[in-house]
Amino acid sequence: MNGALTKAAACGLAGCHACGRVVAVSQGRCPRCGSRLHLRKPASIQRTIALMIAAAVLYIPSHLLPIMTAVELGDVTQHTIISGMITFWKEGSYPIAIVIFTASILIPFLKIVTLIWLCAAATGRVRPSPSMLGRIYWFTELLGRWSMVDIFVVGIVVSLMQLGNYMSVAPGPGALAFAGVVVLTMFAAMSFEPRLLWDRLDEQLTAVPVAHP
Amino acid sequence: MRKELSKTRTSLLPWPKPPGGPRFATCHFCDTLHTAVPVPEGTAARCRRCGAVLYQNRPASLARASAFSLAALLLMGVAHLFPFLTLDVVSLRRHLTLVGAAMALIDEGSPVLGVAVVLFTMVAPLMLAGGLLYVCAPLLFGWSAPGAFLVAKWMHQSEPWNMVEVFLLGVLVSMLKLAKMADVHFDVGFWALAGVMVCMAAAVAGIDRDELWDRMEVSKS
Repeated sequence: MNGALTKAAACGLAGCHACGRVVAVSQGRCPRCGSRLHLRKPASIQRTIALMIAAAVLYIPSHLLPIMTAVELGDVTQHTIISGMITFWKEGSYPIAIVIFTASILIPFLKIVTLIWLCAAATGRVRPSPSMLGRIYWFTELLGRWSMVDIFVVGIVVSLMQLGNYMSVAPGPGALAFAGVVVLTMFAAMSFEPRLLWDRLDEQLTAVPVAHP
Repeated sequence: MRKELSKTRTSLLPWPKPPGGPRFATCHFCDTLHTAVPVPEGTAARCRRCGAVLYQNRPASLARASAFSLAALLLMGVAHLFPFLTLDVVSLRRHLTLVGAAMALIDEGSPVLGVAVVLFTMVAPLMLAGGLLYVCAPLLFGWSAPGAFLVAKWMHQSEPWNMVEVFLLGVLVSMLKLAKMADVHFDVGFWALAGVMVCMAAAVAGIDRDELWDRMEVSKS
């Protein structure tokens, strides 16, 4: 390890979450923007895990319950996310089926799995390389928002398909559950503290504690 | 980042640093402490340990951020005035607007989703582009707008919730979904929102967070 690199936390310095100014954490609040200062986000692992559990619980009804209920000339059909995807696949619209599969099924699932894995790494239970974990964290933050696409599709279809007696579409409870999954996983990714991963790495590298300046 | 810069390189317009004390920058990922030295225009300072970007010196940052956020705001107005999709079934014609999509969700018994659509496609983009313009445009003339610090904080908060591009993907998916049962075609609103997406990305990438806050601090003091 390069001796010239020190951690801000070791010097009692914290970068403000809002404006990025680096000041002594003992000041309590950022002198520039007034935000509260923390060396690390408070209770980050507990918050992330709690939000992830809530998201994982909602993930099940979001796929089992209908996201849309269509009434066509008195016939009631219920659509789930998976049934919509299968319809596209059968019709041969493979790119759209893949987009829906990725945005609605794969990304939320991967996000729940990776964030729980990152929490395990941050508490020292698993020990992968932090630079790879950094990339995974960046990836989960970047992709999470795209899951919202299904909610927007529901909104658009509901808005367009109000054709009086001929056909009408209403949103189903699955859509609400799915929006909950997306919002909860976004909050979970925000409350996760990636610096904990590097703290664990440093603990492994320095078996004997180094005196900090 | 601690290497000495020659005089010719420092003259290449770093943004003005607020007075007093050495300035530091910490890495968001690994918390490594760096001395915040000015970097030449168009380059970025990276963390010496993990390689993450610490801060960037964007060319013509204030002008670009103000111009693109103004363009985004104007296009947002167009996107609200004109429909995104027009749908023709037998003798019926339906238009899709952002407000219409949100209102339909509220009317059809899902007010929470309606409010979510309003927040993610209207409120967050408006806060982001409006906030950026409100903060950056006065800074072009060296003064800071009243309440600029608070506005900038809210602007950073709204950034992850701006889902204009996700909504556009949603419009594309729904168009393909509905194309089999009706005649659907794009309208002006769709292209305007695509413009909002591009301008917003350019505006946000136009100015670095550290630069914006340093400039605000300088103009205030």
